[in-house]
Amino acid sequence: MLFKVEKRPVPSQTMVYLTPVLAVLVTMVLGAIIFSLMGYDGIAAVREIFFTPILNTLKWQDLAVKAAPLILIGVGLAIGYRANVWNIGAEGQYIVGGLAATGVALATHEMTGWYLLPLMALAGIAGGMAYASIPAFLKVRYKVNEILTTLMLTYVAVQLLNYLIFGPWKSPRSFGQPQTVLFNADQTLPYIIPGTIVQAGAPIAVIVALVAWFLMSRSIFGFQVRTVGTAPNAARYAGFSANQTVWLALLIGGGMAGLAGMLEVSGPFGRMVPQFPTNYGFTAIIVAFLGRLNPAGVIIAGLVLAITFVGGEVAQITIGLPFPAVGIFQAMMLFLLLAGDFFVRYRLRRVVTAASVKPASEAAE
Amino acid sequence: MSFDLIIPIIITLVGASTPILIAALGELVAEKSGVLNLGVEGMMLIGAVVAVAVMLTTGNHYLAIICAAGASACSALIFGFLTLSLSANQVATGLALTILGTGFSALFGQPYTGQAVPLLRSPFAPELAQHEVLRIFFGYSPLVYFSLIMVVAVWWFLQRTRWGLILRAVGESDHSAHSIGYSVLGVRYLAVAFGGAMAGIAGSCFPFILTPQWVERLTSGRGWIALALVVFAAWKPFRLLAGAYLFGLIATMELYAKAAGGNFRILPSELWAALPYLATILVLVLISMRRQGSTSAPACLGRPFVPSN
Amino acid sequence: MQNGSVPRLELIGITKSFPGVLANDNVSFAVKPGEIHALLGENGAGKSTLVKMIYGIMPPEKGEMRWNGEPMDVPNPKAARKLGIGMVFQHFSLFDALTVLENIALGMDGNLSNRELEARVREVLKTYGLTLDPHRVVSTLSVGERQRIEIVRALLLNPKLLIMDEPTSVLTPQEVAQLFETLRQLASEGCSILYISHKLNEIKVLCDTATILRGGKVVATCDPKQETSRSMAELMIGGNLKDVSKDASRTFGPPHFVVDNLSVPGDGRFGTALKDVSLSVRKGEIFGIAGVAGNGQNELLSALSGEVPVDRDDAILIGGQAAGTKEANARRKLGLCAVPEERNGHAAVPDFTLTDNAVLTARDRRNLVTAWLINRGAATQYAEGVIDTFSVKATGSAATAGSLSGGNLQKYIMGREIMQTPDVLVVSQPTWGVDAGAAAAIHQALVDLATAGSAIVVISQDLDELLALCDTLAVINEGRLSDPMPVADADIEQIGLLMGGVHGESDTTHMPKPVVEPEAPHAV
Repeated sequence: MLFKVEKRPVPSQTMVYLTPVLAVLVTMVLGAIIFSLMGYDGIAAVREIFFTPILNTLKWQDLAVKAAPLILIGVGLAIGYRANVWNIGAEGQYIVGGLAATGVALATHEMTGWYLLPLMALAGIAGGMAYASIPAFLKVRYKVNEILTTLMLTYVAVQLLNYLIFGPWKSPRSFGQPQTVLFNADQTLPYIIPGTIVQAGAPIAVIVALVAWFLMSRSIFGFQVRTVGTAPNAARYAGFSANQTVWLALLIGGGMAGLAGMLEVSGPFGRMVPQFPTNYGFTAIIVAFLGRLNPAGVIIAGLVLAITFVGGEVAQITIGLPFPAVGIFQAMMLFLLLAGDFFVRYRLRRVVTAASVKPASEAAE
Repeated sequence: MSFDLIIPIIITLVGASTPILIAALGELVAEKSGVLNLGVEGMMLIGAVVAVAVMLTTGNHYLAIICAAGASACSALIFGFLTLSLSANQVATGLALTILGTGFSALFGQPYTGQAVPLLRSPFAPELAQHEVLRIFFGYSPLVYFSLIMVVAVWWFLQRTRWGLILRAVGESDHSAHSIGYSVLGVRYLAVAFGGAMAGIAGSCFPFILTPQWVERLTSGRGWIALALVVFAAWKPFRLLAGAYLFGLIATMELYAKAAGGNFRILPSELWAALPYLATILVLVLISMRRQGSTSAPACLGRPFVPSN
Repeated sequence: MQNGSVPRLELIGITKSFPGVLANDNVSFAVKPGEIHALLGENGAGKSTLVKMIYGIMPPEKGEMRWNGEPMDVPNPKAARKLGIGMVFQHFSLFDALTVLENIALGMDGNLSNRELEARVREVLKTYGLTLDPHRVVSTLSVGERQRIEIVRALLLNPKLLIMDEPTSVLTPQEVAQLFETLRQLASEGCSILYISHKLNEIKVLCDTATILRGGKVVATCDPKQETSRSMAELMIGGNLKDVSKDASRTFGPPHFVVDNLSVPGDGRFGTALKDVSLSVRKGEIFGIAGVAGNGQNELLSALSGEVPVDRDDAILIGGQAAGTKEANARRKLGLCAVPEERNGHAAVPDFTLTDNAVLTARDRRNLVTAWLINRGAATQYAEGVIDTFSVKATGSAATAGSLSGGNLQKYIMGREIMQTPDVLVVSQPTWGVDAGAAAAIHQALVDLATAGSAIVVISQDLDELLALCDTLAVINEGRLSDPMPVADADIEQIGLLMGGVHGESDTTHMPKPVVEPEAPHAV
């Protein structure tokens, strides 16, 4: 053996920041090879998926639209994962948040006023929080694993959505289509950059992420979350309540996902439709990890994942690459990131004295 | 109730339970060795799509099942490499595996969408398999008999063999096992690969027993229910059997509710569709209420092990 | 004592390094057949690494090992067992959820049927006069019984060499005496014993030869019966022993920390319930709690520190204030600080910097947080103050806790609490796994804090430490605390009996008397 794996005395901070970059780069290389082997134009696939959305300025507005919900949900999840609370049901909280906002929109459909959107936003946040409070309650009270409950509730949320728009909420004017009426002008997000499709979601997402970053790095709340997540016994010793942290983590995650749901339904969709669950809640898991569970990093990671979505649509048209290929690229990024984390704690070192090692050591390697 | 109503219900119930049971048995073995693989749903999807592809190409069910098991075991070994050799976080890596399986199956399933896949029917002679009463014993797919044999086999392996004892020991205390001289990572690799192969076979149950075609995300969360079942069963194979059939019953009720209308229509069909997931949550709550804190989970479940050298 | 001319085991120039540490540096010594050979050294001297290589858990980098004169190749523990090397680990290699018999089967390489194995186990138990139920689940056994499983597992292999790694650190004095009888019987049958310890008085009583390690090197080989404990201790630590200076004539203030009939239900599978624990500590007093591991020490510390608040507020009084239902931080504000046994992940967060670890417990008493925001400057200043005052070897307050050696991290943790000038300090195992220099510094700091008027509770398994440090002593057994006794007239035999309690050793009347009398108090 020429190289030996060795534990670093101190985890490498450089590698912490370098790993996501390397993960994306290696994904491009591996992706190009794999898709070439599968008979596609692998290099073109990587070019279209990762570079066209950046180089083509017309696509920037699409990036902003896609990145906003990913960043919002990703920030919420990142805080939760820091606390070792594994909310993987953000998709469900996103749906319920969207439904809550829709409910307010339908109830106030005949009204006008500036306050309608804030009201819908509050409803969205409350809806997401309420839905996330179920797993929080079950975990705190009955020690039920939140991974399974949050995920199960996502399937339930989809059924709730179907029930509402196939039934009580179906628009009488939709010619049998399962969808609600179109929201009125005061219930729809304004375009903030004239001539583009960029709505208020993008700036809100960035502001929320920056506030979260400040609180996580400077406040005693962020300290509590980090302590509970890395060393639960030390947290108890320090006087931080684990249960309180579980509640906070899930309410924040649910609230952000709910807000994202509201921004989507009152933004790009404009009404509630069966296509509303867009997998943002699941993709945001990758965003949270790629952003190193750091809200500031999540902004960048959200953009990267948005690039792959927009690029995937481009590649579908230009080189006929099926859209699910994007999912493989995204999963590869997460795998490589998790693998790369090894080098935060370990390093390779060249073994110089290979010849002087006694035979006894060979068998035990 | 008459036979001609009960027997079809039982046959549907057993069919619906089988993929959950097979996947949960695999996960049970992996967890007994101390590895929590949350990628069951993804591995099942990989198994399902590979089974469909091989079946439609070669026409051989058994080859398709073997390939499904192999493909899912390979995906499990990727998970194993990350979590065992690189000691990556098992929860995150399991999620990554599910995301990978979802993407992989969506991509590779596309060409097969809408094509009919022949079911894998009972291996017994039609006089038995289609007999109006005896089909309750002989009318099932070979995958069903396989699942039942595996319940006994897994129990026997864990409780009665030396290898099973070693596997349990590794899951109970990795450091002790290491210091006595067992290869903790070796045992865990094997257990993870077994879990993957079983998830792959479970995936092949969907096109071969339940819905004879490829549908994107056709497992619809059954992999996660399998994970919950392992907790419900307190890591005991026979309780797994009971739990899986309970869920099969709920799924069967949903089917009958949709088909029958009538009295079942009291509840909206969406509620019936949500029932398996709600029941899973309910069962998890009941289980932890009864256990009051102490669990029978393997002590090292989910913890990375780094051998000191 | 047999005296074969060819050594059973011979090590020549063994070297092993880890990143940043040379654990063994050119170590050579030999063990004769039937000899009880002590391997003596401080924590971190390299003893455990050395025996792990002999037992095949890890390979040496350089050097040669010989077995009965032949070159020996042990790529794994299985090979070692095949040669006839048995090992009893300090941290037992047992499986709590499995039965005694399953545990023993895992340590055997042949494929015996359960019935044959049980018969052989019973035979060995009978031969050596040991009691153990093969069908019990390990988690229900006492520490002494658990060690017996390890010993039986080793004896079933008819070992030619038995390695015992710190075997007595968890035993009562009576259990130690029984263990020594077993070991002598084994040695008389020709089995060599490599006995690893840092307890000098035991080595003097038991061993024929002692090899002393310091910093990974052999510094001396001697006959322990010809040496004094002090001379061996000084070889071991490479310098003069510093005694704790304690003013024996000092007087105590009024009771300041009072625990009244505290009961806590056991937690989970392996927890111990606390039953009617009462104690009262005066200002200036150091109150020691002795006991064998697993008798409720962790539960007691959690209940006293507030990590697990209890249901009765007046069960715990801090300076007269009821605090039973208060959690850890609220108790800290009342003046009670605590240090749990486990450093990494409990008393400190290994991934956090020393500054962040200061925020962990000192944030309120030292005003390190203003308006929900952490005051980095103040926290760094406090951390650096602790580092300076307690001579913690670290690259600075930005070093992570995990990068410090055990002794330095313990000094930092103790310093972090002591510099908050608590009125009450509760510590568990303050010098566990710590080198002699750090241990002496920690002991002195505790004595100084008491002299300044704080009430201190020290929970420890090290009886010698408690006798040297404390003014008053009580023993915890199965969650019950004995009546307190002044250390000045403590009776070792009686303390040993209290430690053994009623479980495990019901036949204490036939037990040999403790052979090891504690040394005059010193800092080791």
